[in-house]
Amino acid sequence: MKILQSSGVPIYQQIADSFRTDILEGKLSQGEYLPSIRGLAKELKISVITTLKAYEMLEQEGLVTAVQGKGYYVNAQDTQMLMEQHRRKVEDALLSAIYSARLAGMTGDELVETLQTLLKLDLEG
Amino acid sequence: MECNYVLEGKNITKKYKNFKLDIENLQIPKGFATALIGENGAGKTTLLDILAGIKLDYKGSLKFFGQYNDKDREKNPDVKNRIGYLGTGNYFFPSWTLKEIEELQGLLFDNFDLGKYREICNELALYTGGAFEKNKKVNNLSDGNKVKLMLAGILARETDLLLMDEPASPLDPLMRDKLCNMLRNYISENEGERSVLFSTHNISDMESITDYVIIVEQGRIVEQGFAEDLKEKYIVVKGEKKDEVSAAKVIKNISTSSFGFEGICLAEDIDKLSGMDIAVERPTLSQISVHVMKEYSLLGEMEDDKRAAS
Repeated sequence: MKILQSSGVPIYQQIADSFRTDILEGKLSQGEYLPSIRGLAKELKISVITTLKAYEMLEQEGLVTAVQGKGYYVNAQDTQMLMEQHRRKVEDALLSAIYSARLAGMTGDELVETLQTLLKLDLEG
Repeated sequence: MECNYVLEGKNITKKYKNFKLDIENLQIPKGFATALIGENGAGKTTLLDILAGIKLDYKGSLKFFGQYNDKDREKNPDVKNRIGYLGTGNYFFPSWTLKEIEELQGLLFDNFDLGKYREICNELALYTGGAFEKNKKVNNLSDGNKVKLMLAGILARETDLLLMDEPASPLDPLMRDKLCNMLRNYISENEGERSVLFSTHNISDMESITDYVIIVEQGRIVEQGFAEDLKEKYIVVKGEKKDEVSAAKVIKNISTSSFGFEGICLAEDIDKLSGMDIAVERPTLSQISVHVMKEYSLLGEMEDDKRAAS
């Protein structure tokens, strides 16, 4: 896990993102425990409250469950929810592309055309 | 967020000639590192001395580890054994030698581990050249080394709470980094059971280990909360020159340049800046502290002015 101090993305978000990816990609499997809050804080050289906040975020998203005195374990992931998570990521990326296109003065058609070209290249590659 | 407290205080007051410490409600969360932040003379040392039992002439009630009061702290050795205190200045008599200090700490505390003490002293590079200069006097140590000596003393004991007065101030950047690592280690060794309360007037050095923040100004707590919550409560705003005047109505301590303005306001007030061309940023604890301290310093000045006028 790489934590950047001045990337503009809050550190708790970076930690949550990293674990979320690991869970969604199946690197962390169902029932497996995340590192202890204070153990992770020590490893990453950050505050305890920051790791706690990251874990609470994952809990709210339904990815992990907290057990009093034991820590946080990974929930069974239903495929529908996984798809939805991925779709949301796609939407976010497209929104940021739309924003950049506007800054670059591109029209909607030009943007769609670029996407189609990239899709084609990716499929060929 | 719900949590237990390792240390609680109610209506703690202590009067001096020109200063009054007046802490209505003190709660130090258990299992976390809490920073006591304030200007010089804000009352940090007085408060820590009261909590550690160095000063006993105060009013109010204290509760340690959810069950002991301050009389228990003085009578029941278990309470003091579970607390490690690191003060500023001369905690050890200046004429004592390193050898005497080792022996004394073994006598004072049941849980002092000499092997661990020497190990930490070595790790902190306290014995220069590796040799233990047993006849070296405290007097001849630098301020930084005095802190290291106290730090080794409290970390060589099995404790549940560390009270530290300005531990980072006399240390060089390398040692500050080491201090943060040692405190993180301390807290992680016993998941959720160990807590640290330290004071500092320079939070940027300790920002990476601070979980809970208490800001003290003129003897009172003026702001407190978990670091992540405070970073959401306040927001850094930057904007263009044309909006400077109207932004100043929302942002109290606005700083302006020939290109634009910058300041901190409550995140809930951000709507009041709508229509302006602004950029926002998550504040650091250091920025929040300065903002809060400025606000209360200003209040203090205004009160002084009123008094002078009447």
